[in-house]
Amino acid sequence: MGPDPQTGAPPLPVLIVGGGPVGLTLGALLARHGIASHIIEADEAYCQGSRAICISRRSQEVLAWVGADRPLNAKGLPWTGGRSYFRNQEVLHFRMPTEPTERFAPMVNIQQYFVEEYAHQAQDRFPGKCSVSWSTRAVATRPTADGVEVDVEAAGGHRETLRAQWVVACDGARSAVRDHLGLSLEGTQYEGRYVIVDIEQESSRAVERLAWFDPPSNPGSTVLMHRQPDNVWRVDYQIRDGEDPAEAVRPELVLPRVQSHLDMIGETAPWKPLWISAYGAKCLSLRSYRHGRVLFAGDAAHLVPIFGVRGLNSGLDDVGNLAWKLALVIGGASRDDLLDTYSTERLYATEENIAYAAKSTEFMAPPNFAFELMRQATLRLASVDPRVRSLINPRQSSQCSYPAAMLGAGLPGGDRSASPRPGDPAPEARVRTTDERTHLTQYFGGGFIALYFTDDRPVPDSIALRASASTQDVATMTVVRIARKGIPDATTVVDFIGEAWQRYGAHEGTLCLIRPDGYVLACWDQPDWQALSSVLRRILTGQALPQPRLLVGGDA
Amino acid sequence: MKEQDLDHCYTVLSDALAAVGGEKASLLLATLSLSLIVRETDAKIVLDLIAQAGELART
Repeated sequence: MGPDPQTGAPPLPVLIVGGGPVGLTLGALLARHGIASHIIEADEAYCQGSRAICISRRSQEVLAWVGADRPLNAKGLPWTGGRSYFRNQEVLHFRMPTEPTERFAPMVNIQQYFVEEYAHQAQDRFPGKCSVSWSTRAVATRPTADGVEVDVEAAGGHRETLRAQWVVACDGARSAVRDHLGLSLEGTQYEGRYVIVDIEQESSRAVERLAWFDPPSNPGSTVLMHRQPDNVWRVDYQIRDGEDPAEAVRPELVLPRVQSHLDMIGETAPWKPLWISAYGAKCLSLRSYRHGRVLFAGDAAHLVPIFGVRGLNSGLDDVGNLAWKLALVIGGASRDDLLDTYSTERLYATEENIAYAAKSTEFMAPPNFAFELMRQATLRLASVDPRVRSLINPRQSSQCSYPAAMLGAGLPGGDRSASPRPGDPAPEARVRTTDERTHLTQYFGGGFIALYFTDDRPVPDSIALRASASTQDVATMTVVRIARKGIPDATTVVDFIGEAWQRYGAHEGTLCLIRPDGYVLACWDQPDWQALSSVLRRILTGQALPQPRLLVGGDA
Repeated sequence: MKEQDLDHCYTVLSDALAAVGGEKASLLLATLSLSLIVRETDAKIVLDLIAQAGELART
């Protein structure tokens, strides 16, 4: 797309429609890769109400690529498990997989507007690369031969046309861009509806997911509770059959139910309501997340039920997958068909998310008498037979593996039988380095990373083409040697408790190539640097970068 | 039985109950119970489970 014929202004590299947590994070991720973007957001500021409150370990990793994990973890409340009750009796106490040496808690509770603020602030680390226009909405989207034109309307009715090479629609469940292109979400909507209430009340209760089925406080209902920062409780409860959802959010109906439940669990401090909303479970998705030069992410692309906290977390995973690919394409290092793998990989993730979320919804909001009957039986039996308790487990969001064929089809190193396999998330490990980094995942989020498991072998000279690394150049590869003992140096981290070698199934000489988003691209039990180079060249095929630059150093 | 197999059976049984409808659901469950009972060689286990289910159904 050339300059604007009237003003001569060049097109935006990326226009992001929607300045919620997904769009703001995408802007920061692109900025980290050196790609400029502009964000338009229909609202005048960060969101009202707490909305999505559970941030997964994977989402924390994505936010960490732009430094937004620090304020998030300083403010948020980490948690590792939860309890479910049938009436007054505990029938499940679950813990999510976690290790004392891990970088992040499996889940952090925090209001969505804080996530938006931290993602927005993270853009400031990359001056001039990302800007936001608030109170500005998209009113028309017109794909052209080599770009996209978007008519936008700002507060006061001022209209203009923005021209961009690429548009990413992050404009939520009611996506305007989706409507402009005549696209629809497809899938299932469930009958059961929940009221969501935020209240402010001091509490010293442990931070965990709490669920009550048929509690004496609200017979026949299901009540969920999560603690948030600033003495905020999230309370969700299922409304009664036949109850009008519009009526159900009236404070005179909501507040007595909340009071009754607080009384039941012994939370007696004064409280006040902050936000009330209603929610219905949906499993919906577009058939493709790429439509020419328009890409879809987050709720604009897919909607999953809240049970299992896959909504915002899958949106952040979307942009973690998209940002590096878009940066490579815009930078001329890859062909634009790399973006097709964004759609195929994230559609696969949505299918998995919907399968898990549908299972959770069957239990949390039974869609018919049969699921209700089975839930009644499960809850009763769980009190005497622990083997059925897994049916009550909320199946919290976890990072999915992609089939290797999606990006690594036919790649040398794509057929390793040991875990991790190509398409798997690259395992975390505690390591010792020469700087402030303490975990292997802190090397991800920039360019490609080659993890070379060796105690004493050097990296071949043929690979050490350059000795310095740009933190913003996604089209680079950094070799990180992982030794089991010794002292870390600029190119070597020390796996001093053996986690990395164990979790990567490594032997002396094992070589793993990791994508910028922390997924395994290929692994070799013995170092095959030629194969590694050819794998990179399969992705870095653009005119601007005929040969991948291979870098040695810990400056990822 | 693995957790994911139990999950799957739960959904399939629920769907089967929904398919026959509320009037025939108890007949389906009784038939299924008998099928599972004849696969158990120890009658005491079966009788204890029947007693337990009876108690739980009253709660």
